[in-house]
Amino acid sequence: MKKHIPDIILTKFLRLMAFISGVFSILLCILIIINFVQLKRTDPLNTPALTYLQEQLSKDPGNTALQQEIRQVDLLARKAFFTSQWQIRTGAYLLAISLILLVICLKSLEMTTPKIPSMIGTGHTDSLERRKTERRWVVIAGMVLVVISLTLAWFTHRMLTGSSSAITSLVNQGSEKDTSAKSNGTTPTVTSSSADSTGLTKETSSTESEAPPAQNEIRANFPGFRGPGGNGVAFQKNIPVSWDGASGKNIKWKTEIPLPGYNSPIVWKDKIFLSGAKENQRAAYCFDANSGKLLWTTDLSKIQGSPAQMPKVTAETGLAAPTMTTDGHRVYVIFANGDLAALDFEGKTIWTKNLGLPKNHYGHSSSLIMYRDLLIIQYDQNGSANVMALAGKTGDKVWGTSRNVKISWASPVVVNTGNMTELILVAEPDVISYDPATGKELWKLDCISGEVGPSVAYANGMVFSINEYSKLAAIKLGPSATLAWENNDYLSDVPSPVAFNDFVIVVTSYGAVVCYDAASGKQQWLKELEKSVYSSPMIADGKIFIMDKQGTMHILKADKTLAVVGESALGEGSVCTPAFGDGRIYIRGNKHLFCIGK
Amino acid sequence: MKLRRLVILILFMSGLFLPAAMSIQRFPKPEFESGYTEPVTQFPLPRGEFLIWMDVAVLLLTISLASWLVIKRRSRLGVFWLSLFSLAYFGFYRQGCVCSIGAIQNVTLGLFSGNFTIPLVVLLFFLIPLVFTLLFGRTFCAAVCPFGAFQDLVAFKPMRIGAWLNAFLGMIPYLYLGLAVLFAATATDFIICRYDPFVGIFRLNGSFGMFIFAGVLLLAGVFIARPYCRFLCPYGVLLNWMSRFSWKHLTITPAECIQCRLCENTCPYDAIDFPQTKKDPASHRKQINRMILLGLLVPVLVLAGAWTGSQVHRTLAGVNSKVRLVRLLQTGPTIKGQDELPEITAFRSSGVPQEQLVAEAGRIEQEFLRGSRIFGGFIGLVFGLTLIGLFRTPYRTDYVANRATCLSCSRCVDYCPVIKK
Repeated sequence: MKKHIPDIILTKFLRLMAFISGVFSILLCILIIINFVQLKRTDPLNTPALTYLQEQLSKDPGNTALQQEIRQVDLLARKAFFTSQWQIRTGAYLLAISLILLVICLKSLEMTTPKIPSMIGTGHTDSLERRKTERRWVVIAGMVLVVISLTLAWFTHRMLTGSSSAITSLVNQGSEKDTSAKSNGTTPTVTSSSADSTGLTKETSSTESEAPPAQNEIRANFPGFRGPGGNGVAFQKNIPVSWDGASGKNIKWKTEIPLPGYNSPIVWKDKIFLSGAKENQRAAYCFDANSGKLLWTTDLSKIQGSPAQMPKVTAETGLAAPTMTTDGHRVYVIFANGDLAALDFEGKTIWTKNLGLPKNHYGHSSSLIMYRDLLIIQYDQNGSANVMALAGKTGDKVWGTSRNVKISWASPVVVNTGNMTELILVAEPDVISYDPATGKELWKLDCISGEVGPSVAYANGMVFSINEYSKLAAIKLGPSATLAWENNDYLSDVPSPVAFNDFVIVVTSYGAVVCYDAASGKQQWLKELEKSVYSSPMIADGKIFIMDKQGTMHILKADKTLAVVGESALGEGSVCTPAFGDGRIYIRGNKHLFCIGK
Repeated sequence: MKLRRLVILILFMSGLFLPAAMSIQRFPKPEFESGYTEPVTQFPLPRGEFLIWMDVAVLLLTISLASWLVIKRRSRLGVFWLSLFSLAYFGFYRQGCVCSIGAIQNVTLGLFSGNFTIPLVVLLFFLIPLVFTLLFGRTFCAAVCPFGAFQDLVAFKPMRIGAWLNAFLGMIPYLYLGLAVLFAATATDFIICRYDPFVGIFRLNGSFGMFIFAGVLLLAGVFIARPYCRFLCPYGVLLNWMSRFSWKHLTITPAECIQCRLCENTCPYDAIDFPQTKKDPASHRKQINRMILLGLLVPVLVLAGAWTGSQVHRTLAGVNSKVRLVRLLQTGPTIKGQDELPEITAFRSSGVPQEQLVAEAGRIEQEFLRGSRIFGGFIGLVFGLTLIGLFRTPYRTDYVANRATCLSCSRCVDYCPVIKK
């Protein structure tokens, strides 16, 4: 730096290079910016041409020429997109090179051109004056900072609701008691969980005993999907085997259900509960078991944290597919958007919460189940599967276990396997058993694949899982869970299997009913119903009850030998699993709730 | 010359779009329903042990060399070439990480969080420049810091800015340092890294806003040398403090100053203190009274700062993701076409009870209240001490480098005609 050699030629050359690289860089910049803006505006997956063609195809799905044209347009759009990306990338590298060249030239010019220090107008200001100015501006900076801080604080304060902090207010909201719901027990009443009900509402008083129901009490009722423990076996007696919906024979009562839903009825003493939902409305219902009268309706459309829109679900799943459950003190309901609520037997909302919008392309369908005072929820979503237990009384999470499985639509089963009670869940790739008290995994077996809908069945130390395009797997429990046998002749995608004594019954959605020997897997008998079935088979009073989609109940003897007991038509289609009371069957048809009995 | 300036201006403005253009999103992932399993994302392996220690060795070597070039050789050219090497190594090769500036946050988090252990290399990157600054002044800034090197490279037409602006903007680094420490201590965010202006250029990847920020800084750096170092760098605050007490420091003249004034305009950072022989017109008694008043004012400013900090703590706490999530849950905003914000969806799918989140957010807000008070008090103290410093009128007969603000770039020494005998 101390030796400056003025070189006119070199200086001119450097200036020329700087000019050329500068102009080149500007041109490149302009091109890149134009390309970048174009690329930002373009969505190759949703070009107007492609959208138009897709609309045409939806009107004429079989048009192969149109399909071919869509592929061509799609390919062209993608090619254009990636070509633009390549152009930007290449242009960017060229721009970087030319900018480096420009900097080198300018820096070289700076180094080769001697700099004469200027002493004219040096800015040699009076230090005292300078310090005075600095002091003044430090004070101004401080004041500006205070003003900015207080303004921000004011805006934040204003933005957050209430005079206390947002968090405090949220906690306070949580402790508010929902007192809006009342019912008189005789007239159907509508209670509402309004927008101000927080989802953190706690029950603060209860006159009922909070002891979980005893085993015999559970068996005397029908507390959830597929009966006690969700295992497909009911313990009621004197179940009717003959009725006719058209003539009203043995139809004790029939009541219209206000909102649609594919969840099944549950029964506790003289009350029947079920839920319904449509796009902007969700509700739980209670019916009188003796008269069929709608005792109360609780509107659950606007609970705290409920997403603004319902998820997209298929028509075959709907928005209220999961069946409710009860512990004898409260009933629990969940909807396709993850809204969860606990209601008392009078329809009053005890607590509500939203579990998060399930990522589920058909719609959430896993039913709720109780273990003692714990509400167990299987929440196997796309990308995140877990099972959790909430305290029935408060809704507080007691445990949660992450599951390394795929999305599923099956429901949990709680059964006593001899030494302990197990919570058994199924989803690709495993059947997994958990301790229902802690959520700790007990065992698992890789034996299932695909989009699993049917729940497992259990009897006498054997667990049975099934899924279409997979297999029927029989798992023998012991010191460890082992695969006893497997079979893939008849597979189900919706109805769950049911096991009883030494056999297991499989019902396929196309109407094949098959009985296998539980120990060996040997087929015992086959009955073709020749009807579609979505309802899960139930065993009660020594018989197998299978409801087809058209509403005909097929009743077979629960035995390793095939014996048809009878068939009875409801007069209305049904895809739900029947519930049982002594001498009664409760069936949810497509529009009505039926009580079969005398 | 005008044309050249124009070219530089336009180029830097348009060059902002270069890396942004490189970071365009690709197609969204397809959703397979055929059972196809997406391969597990491969993450790059951590940097090898040897290479990690090589970084420390390179830091030690470059900072030693920089100190030697500044103090002993007094070579501007040497400093320039070394800064180019640092830019290439710590900037483009190491992609701006690990960096001493960002290490402030790791050290803070390590001190405040029981769950975070400061990596030894990060600690060394934090301490080595401080130690060298205590010994030889800010030689780290001169030739080792890639940020400084980058800005120095484009300082083609540095201008002197007014004392008022210098004083005003000079308070920002303290604010930035305080905020960085507050957010790191509450495990909220590493804002120095998040708003690192040059890392996007080093990696050719980053958000559009950050490229704009970097471009503005570099463009400003053509005329106002090293704007980031002087008016933003939080690590510069620590180096400033260390350098005030440095054992050896760059001197403009190697021997006795001959008052030739050739160096007067050579510092692009305005870090040369001119001779000060005028006496404060105030009487000695008045000066003493003023200092007593200022001494009393400092605790008042500290308290005022603490109070202001406590007022703004909720705003600051809003940066924390958990606090923000609770506020979002409360207000329930949605994006057009979506049911709810992705943050809310993610939270709901986590299975974490809302009560737990609310309790956690409440605890964080309390931490912010304490932290903001300390932060406000610190800023008040800085203002108080700065004012005291500005009331002092040290007597000087020579042109000297200001130990606190001099970046040891050695530009001034090239203009000094004095030769040491």
